[in-house]
Amino acid sequence: MKLDRRGLLKILTAIPILGGLIALVSPLFRYLKPNDKPWQIFTIAPDLPAGGAQIVGTTAAVPKPWDFFYFTYVQKYVQYDPTGYKAANIPGVAIRLPEKVKFVNAEGFVGYADKDGKPQDTDIVLFQRICPHLGCIFNFIPDWHEVQIGYGGYVPPAWEKHSLMACPCHLSIYNPSYPGDPGNVISGPAPRGARYFQFELRGDNIVVVGAELGGIAWEPRPDPRADREGDAPRDSA
Amino acid sequence: MEAVLANLREWFQDRKQHLDLFDETKTGKQDDPLYILGDLVWLSWMVVIVSGVLLMLWYIPTTTGAYRSIEHITYDIPFGWLVRGMHKYGADMLITCITLRIYRMYFAGEYKKPGELSWMVLFASLVLGMISGITGYLLIWNQRAFWAAKVVLTVPTYYDEIPVLGNLGLGRATAYIFLGGPAVGQATITRFYAIHFGISVVFVILAEVLFYRTRRRRLSLSPFVILLVLAFLAYVSFERLTDMGRWANPNRTPLPILSDWYFLALYQLVKYMPPLWAGIAPALLIGYGMAVPFMDRTKETRPLERPFFFVVGVMSLLYFIAFTALIILNIAVISRDPPIILAVTIVLMVFAFIWELLYRRRKAARAARAAQAAGPAARPAQPPRPAAA
Repeated sequence: MKLDRRGLLKILTAIPILGGLIALVSPLFRYLKPNDKPWQIFTIAPDLPAGGAQIVGTTAAVPKPWDFFYFTYVQKYVQYDPTGYKAANIPGVAIRLPEKVKFVNAEGFVGYADKDGKPQDTDIVLFQRICPHLGCIFNFIPDWHEVQIGYGGYVPPAWEKHSLMACPCHLSIYNPSYPGDPGNVISGPAPRGARYFQFELRGDNIVVVGAELGGIAWEPRPDPRADREGDAPRDSA
Repeated sequence: MEAVLANLREWFQDRKQHLDLFDETKTGKQDDPLYILGDLVWLSWMVVIVSGVLLMLWYIPTTTGAYRSIEHITYDIPFGWLVRGMHKYGADMLITCITLRIYRMYFAGEYKKPGELSWMVLFASLVLGMISGITGYLLIWNQRAFWAAKVVLTVPTYYDEIPVLGNLGLGRATAYIFLGGPAVGQATITRFYAIHFGISVVFVILAEVLFYRTRRRRLSLSPFVILLVLAFLAYVSFERLTDMGRWANPNRTPLPILSDWYFLALYQLVKYMPPLWAGIAPALLIGYGMAVPFMDRTKETRPLERPFFFVVGVMSLLYFIAFTALIILNIAVISRDPPIILAVTIVLMVFAFIWELLYRRRKAARAARAAQAAGPAARPAQPPRPAAA
């Protein structure tokens, strides 16, 4: 391509025109995603869900190893329609493990800690049942044979032949007592282990005080704006 | 630059002249049943649009009202079952006809000059048809629809993990824009409803512009055949009443859960692949489809005379059927299957490549022999095709 004076002038004229067009288009994007500020289209900061402390059950409900119960933890998030905020449930499962573990996952999220945030030993663990793969709700399966029959024929190795968690959609299978990373994925396409709830034991009550981000439709990413919004459920106590 | 643009414009003008989307009267194969597929595409599309508008009279696009209103349409309103059946089975027929026509064009080499643009439009219409499908079946607000929407719109969030590009937040923004928020809810129904309706409206207008400017016919079927198709759709609607599924429950994913039939193979693929690949693979498939007229540069149209593309076509057909069968039978041992499938694919591709090379070498040798036999001066171009081939 030969660049003569006319071509150069054309390009130079095109820059402000293009800029103007983008400026015109920007509010149109905000028509689709209205809670962004101008020029902030690709942020998820204003969409962070908010939860707070909620009692989800009692330790008496899981007296023996591999006892479990399902619960739901309610979060609010913005929905782009006239109703505004919407409550969304994160289905969860509480499990009593046979032995005590540190409830910390490979991503570094601490599910059970003392006041200083130091991980503590616990044999009760709380997982979000929203599959980290593509968002279906996975199940707690007390008998691993059922995993083999219903979830594609996976046979766990001998040391994992106990209760497991498995997703009906794409057959990711999670081991709630995986050494060093409880809830890790042991088969299937999921890129990471099950997400955690952050909880406290207040007397007999199991109180969820926060949830690992990403449970609704998105993953957290290191974004300084996320902290500034102050809505992050992890902050609530 | 100017020359390239001029060439492009000329290419586009020429292919536009040969755009053969619906009536297929230019193929000269009017007695071949495979060549009424274009007409059937248009016919089923119109059935879907008319029945869709009729459904809109009763449908309530809210999370609380959608399921009930469709139940109401199906069981209470006189002939509601017929309208809904025509809409559903008409849409199935539309997807089937587009798919069959894509395979026909592929194996008959009709995507070659001057059919490139027709092929690309047809391929894009399959994608749009599938988008219409997925936005349409969320409107029922049953379990299948809910989880399909959730899974499909979680896939774009993985685009933010493409290594080189870095995290632009673009994938997530895409998901949020379609969902109308971070999760499937009321805003999602509203947006899907708009998309579902909008796609057809826009493309009906474009098709009408095409008919107006080219004087092509919309439909070259006889009234008897049209009636036969409509009667068949009505019969299917009556005989196999479209089912409702269960009301969408965001707290429970049923086991097993299946998508609509044309997504099943893709669904199995998503089980086998890490999520980012699963998001990229369909894009690659679409890219292959769109680019195939420009990759297959030979003039041959018969399938066995372009072995590589023939094998790829057969593989796509076989994989579609095999994956669909596997998911219906609920077989997927994630630790066992993908290496096998990958190995088979690689072997087949290598085989296809070698076949193509051998075939080309043989053809060149044959041409050289023929040129020699005819003498150097007699007929330099166009060697006669040997009778044995």
